[in-house]
Amino acid sequence: MPEETGGHSESLIHVAIKAETLFHIGPIAVTNSMVGSLIVFVLLASLAWWASRNHAVVPSRLQSLLEFPVEFLGGIVRGQHETRWRSILPPVLAIFIIVLFSNYVGLLPGVGTIGVHTVENGHDVVVPIIRPASADLNFTLALALIAFVLFVGWGIRANGVKGYLKETFVANPPYMTPLMTPIHIVSELSRIISLSMRLFGNVFAGEILLAVMLALTFAIVPVAFLGLEMIFGAVQALVFALLTLTYITLATAGHGGGHDEGAESHGHDADDVALRAGAH
Amino acid sequence: MDLTPLAAGLAIGLGALGPGIGLGLGVSKAMEALGRNPEAAGALFVPYVLGLALTEAVAIYALVIGLLILFT
Repeated sequence: MPEETGGHSESLIHVAIKAETLFHIGPIAVTNSMVGSLIVFVLLASLAWWASRNHAVVPSRLQSLLEFPVEFLGGIVRGQHETRWRSILPPVLAIFIIVLFSNYVGLLPGVGTIGVHTVENGHDVVVPIIRPASADLNFTLALALIAFVLFVGWGIRANGVKGYLKETFVANPPYMTPLMTPIHIVSELSRIISLSMRLFGNVFAGEILLAVMLALTFAIVPVAFLGLEMIFGAVQALVFALLTLTYITLATAGHGGGHDEGAESHGHDADDVALRAGAH
Repeated sequence: MDLTPLAAGLAIGLGALGPGIGLGLGVSKAMEALGRNPEAAGALFVPYVLGLALTEAVAIYALVIGLLILFT
């Protein structure tokens, strides 16, 4: 009996850490997570096309749905960066919406269940045609690298190349530099790993959870977990965006702080005035 | 006898223990603060979500280790 149930669940639950290749276009292997990200792209592009054409002063239902994340995240970004929120908001918002839609692709009916039969290590497995992009480490790592470039770029923009290097590589009492600099570098780089692993782990675990619940129980029970996954998808998208925003805030404020706070904030003011003039 | 599934189960099981306690503490303190001062809900929200995410990341690391043990 145990062997039988084991074999049964193995055929129902298909767990693959990396995205599986569906077919090849020249040298490029097209994986099922690329199909998932393509769906997100088409959906977002058509929504943006619709929204830029049919906007009105009194928003329709879809328009107010699309405006909600802009207002919500805009309020948060504005609360932390009073003067340069106009230039910080777009990338943060883009990350939020892309991650949100990628997470929700995994909840569409048919994703993970409709697939093509292939033989893998002697087993007959069903490779799903669509896989949510954020259940692929390549996608989350790429997003984390973009976030890294963003907050390092903002650190350089706010404090100058010299100021940024000084803040990253020179500790506040200079004699602590040999001890603190490696820690600083590791903590900056570990942000990439933690950002990407958090999103990947959550979405991937959610997919496995849904598959396991579908295999173990009857049809109604997984609905509760689908609802749970809807909340988690939104929360993880929000977390990714908020962490990016927090890292940008830390980079623009400067890590050291302390005694030369006045001079720094004065420099910020001049920068902000220039930025504002550019924005208007 | 193959102990690999046991190792993976222990990795995620023990790894989820600490973050579970941490998440409970975090949520309880946030609710306490909210009960004392309901107007602070807006100011609490972002640090609350960030703190929960950072705590939960530890469990995700355990999950990744468990998956690595199981599948590599």
